[in-house]
Amino acid sequence: MMPLLEVRDLVVRFRTHDDVVHAVNGVSFTVEPGDALGLVGESGCGKSVTNLAILRLLPQPAGRIEGGSAVFDGTNLTSLPESALRRIRGRDIAMIFQDPMTSLNPVLTIDEQMVETIQAHRDIGKAGARARAMELLDMVGIPEPSQRLRGYPHQLSGGMRQRVMIAMALSLEPRVLIADEPTTALDVTIQAQVLELIEKIAREQHTAIILITHDLGVVAGRTKRVNVMYAGFVVEAAPTGELFAHPLHPYTVGLLHSIPRIDRAEGEPLIPIEGAPPDLRDKPVGCAFAPRCAWRIERCWTDTPELKDAAHDGPVRLNTDGSGEIDGRHRVACWNVPTPAEARAGRPLGRRLPRSTAGPAPAGEGESGS
Amino acid sequence: MVKYIVRRLVGAIPVLLGLSLMVFAFLHLLPGDPAVAILGEHATPAAMERLRETLGLNKPLSEQYLTYMGDLLRGDLGNSLVNDRPILKSFMEKFPATIELSVVAMLFAIIVGLPLGRLAASRPHSLTDGAVTVVSLLGVSIPVFVLGLLLQYFLSVQVQILPPSGRIDARLDFPQVTHFMLVDTILTGNLEAFLSALGHLVLPGIALGSIPMATIARITRASVLEVANDDHVRTARAKGLSEARVSKRHIMRNAWLPVITVIGLLTGYLLAGAVITETVFAWNGVGSWVVEAINNHDYVVVQSSILVFAVIFLTVNLIVDILYAVLDPRIRYS
Amino acid sequence: MEATTVSGARIGPARRSRGLFRDAWGRLRRNPPAMVGLFLIVSLVMLGVFADLIAPYDPLAGRLADRLQLPSAEHLMGTDLQGRDVFSRMLFGARVSLMAGVVAVAVGFLVGGCLGAIAGVFGGWLDPIIMRFMDTLLAVPSVLLAIGVVAWLGRGLGQVMLAVGITYTPVFARLLRGSILSLREIDYVIAARSAGASRMRILVRHMLPNALTPMIVQGTLSLGTAIVTVTALGFLGLGPPDPRTAEWGVMLTDSIRFLRIAPYLLFFPGAAIVLAVIGFNLLGDGVREALDPRQRR
Repeated sequence: MMPLLEVRDLVVRFRTHDDVVHAVNGVSFTVEPGDALGLVGESGCGKSVTNLAILRLLPQPAGRIEGGSAVFDGTNLTSLPESALRRIRGRDIAMIFQDPMTSLNPVLTIDEQMVETIQAHRDIGKAGARARAMELLDMVGIPEPSQRLRGYPHQLSGGMRQRVMIAMALSLEPRVLIADEPTTALDVTIQAQVLELIEKIAREQHTAIILITHDLGVVAGRTKRVNVMYAGFVVEAAPTGELFAHPLHPYTVGLLHSIPRIDRAEGEPLIPIEGAPPDLRDKPVGCAFAPRCAWRIERCWTDTPELKDAAHDGPVRLNTDGSGEIDGRHRVACWNVPTPAEARAGRPLGRRLPRSTAGPAPAGEGESGS
Repeated sequence: MVKYIVRRLVGAIPVLLGLSLMVFAFLHLLPGDPAVAILGEHATPAAMERLRETLGLNKPLSEQYLTYMGDLLRGDLGNSLVNDRPILKSFMEKFPATIELSVVAMLFAIIVGLPLGRLAASRPHSLTDGAVTVVSLLGVSIPVFVLGLLLQYFLSVQVQILPPSGRIDARLDFPQVTHFMLVDTILTGNLEAFLSALGHLVLPGIALGSIPMATIARITRASVLEVANDDHVRTARAKGLSEARVSKRHIMRNAWLPVITVIGLLTGYLLAGAVITETVFAWNGVGSWVVEAINNHDYVVVQSSILVFAVIFLTVNLIVDILYAVLDPRIRYS
Repeated sequence: MEATTVSGARIGPARRSRGLFRDAWGRLRRNPPAMVGLFLIVSLVMLGVFADLIAPYDPLAGRLADRLQLPSAEHLMGTDLQGRDVFSRMLFGARVSLMAGVVAVAVGFLVGGCLGAIAGVFGGWLDPIIMRFMDTLLAVPSVLLAIGVVAWLGRGLGQVMLAVGITYTPVFARLLRGSILSLREIDYVIAARSAGASRMRILVRHMLPNALTPMIVQGTLSLGTAIVTVTALGFLGLGPPDPRTAEWGVMLTDSIRFLRIAPYLLFFPGAAIVLAVIGFNLLGDGVREALDPRQRR
């Protein structure tokens, strides 16, 4: 089955007067119908930028797609003329954003904002569009929809606003919904509700979801596959359960060991990942995670690893809960993958190639001691 | 909404009181002997005594203030010390001239400034943007009197395509009903006079309106640039709306809020600038009347006019605030 | 400067910061329009300071026989109605006009700052009274307020400086009060955890720069408008009572009647005023960008 959306080797850079920021450095992933893909990574890893690039919503004029492609249903979105792309935005691929407070126009009523979305893509009168809007508000669980329609965004709570955003995004029954940190700005109790809602509607309308988040907990229950991103690269990709059970990339291992988990023994220490993400203004050389990686070898400093199938005996195509097949491969980008025992322990367990602590020195500075 | 309006009105009261106090102080608490200040040192004691009686300066201060407030509330601003006419009456006769000038200046500022600002914002950091920035900088930096004189020199003296001063060709004569030159000329059906009046408005209008024009261009540019980067604009684009729609409903709708506030503040500038512009262009409005009064030591005219101007300024700002509330629902429902 | 963590992981070089004002000066230096502005201002100030050395003639005295001469080798900028050398008057005028602008802003800065500080620090019933008073001052458009004050006090350069200073008082008062109010919050938090007076002193040393920054920006921007207002009052005849005084605004009054035959009487003082204002505007914008960490628009 042809993937609905295929992103291949996408490169995005931001160019300002003084700097170049290498935000996305060759990212590839696919989304299939009925899929639920999680994009996980810390702030600045490029997960949001990648998705903004798909719809060409990057801040202008700084943000530019400088390589790769994003093919939706056979059409390359990166080279599509603006007028054609506009038809796809909102109608075939919809996006909701992190902060519902600032993502809605404060001076227009909810009604006006929802109706304009519907009327932009369908030949339908105001009354018809308004009726549909009421339906949608009802579907997302907003009480007294007719009253809410006449109101303004600032009169709603954060959770409500996000529901409105979801309603608006799904008003044209898009094939793909991109949810960029939809719950980060909300209270914890509301988070679960909103995620629940997204999942439910996606199931009912057969919408594929891309769920972007930095929170592994969000990803755990709600996605079928996960891509872990770091510094503009995808470093690991696997079905969700597989990723949590058998993490392969040192970064993923680190992430999983730095959060508290019920299935771990009490008293086991949390192991933070030391250091900080690289400055994206520097051109990436070698593996981006090398400076913080406990498994690094000489090669990591010079050669950028590519995402490759890991040796693993799961099926290539997984059939999950009867809603269709998804890509069941487990892929990782690493020259020195930790063993399962090391992954469980969260640190290297003495063997194999000597660890190299020395690396190519940043320009102009001497090397620090081993 | 009504609550908001009431709150603003109530908030204006202490300011109005303060203004009246201030002007009262200016008039009745002159440093030194007011009679000397007004009549000069060589006036006869009898004349000075008469003046003191007229101004009520011999009574205790509190009584003076009460009389003053009473007069104010009845609309009595006192009489001119020069010709003893009621100030309010003279003001009403001369004010239309100032209004005409100010309105033309503001129209010029908005019609030129707003599109310039939008243009610059649509092409940030480009040559067009740079040009607009330079023009606004110049516009803001050339004071009214300098610009007025320059315009007079180049367009009236050298080239003579526009009249240098006055409100209308002095040779034309017709009854003045409203004292609005444009209106009066229309009422008498005199096309030549109308065109003359219009022509006379050009130079002073541009001179007075240049700083507001530059300010509006700057604010518009900044505001549009700021809103264009807002999240909700991104959402609008993500919904697949056309660029025209995004620009109109999502960018401009939010961007011109600060511009409206600025226009309110600029009215204050126009009122003050009118004083100077009218002097340069021999424009027969309140501004030149005030300057004349200063030279004649007619302080009652000066201070009373300032009071009226301040009240007008306050009122305009109040209207702007209300307008802002109408346009921004966040203010309305807070 | 590189750092390594305990396990040997490397962290990239840190970006060094050298204190608010030195950083700001660095940014200012790299801002071409601001430097142009600074150059303009410094030049005009220098011309004013060294006026008695540079000026070829006495700015106050002239021979009637020489009056209204066009610019020539003898009189670089021509002569005025009284036969006085315009160039010399321009140089001494720089002193008067620029100084008047600076003093006016200084008055506004100090008086407004004090009032704002009192309102912010002591609060209570002082706060609303002071701020209402400021509102009253703001209700009158500034040039008119200045005219009113000068009409009240009588004409003269000092009166003009005071009057214009009064018109700037509300702006500075509001600014400083606002800064103090927002910094007070931090004060209480630290005070709860603090361990002695030394912390307080550090606070003052950090608080003050933060509170003063918007004032400095405003001050620089206000210098431009102050020059305009001061010269405008001079133009209207409210300035120095001695008609011989060299002040740019006063010189422009003289030019009105002789535009046709002596336009240079308009050009030179006019250009000087415009250059001064442009200079302060450019510098002010630059100072604002340099001191505002948000930068870049």
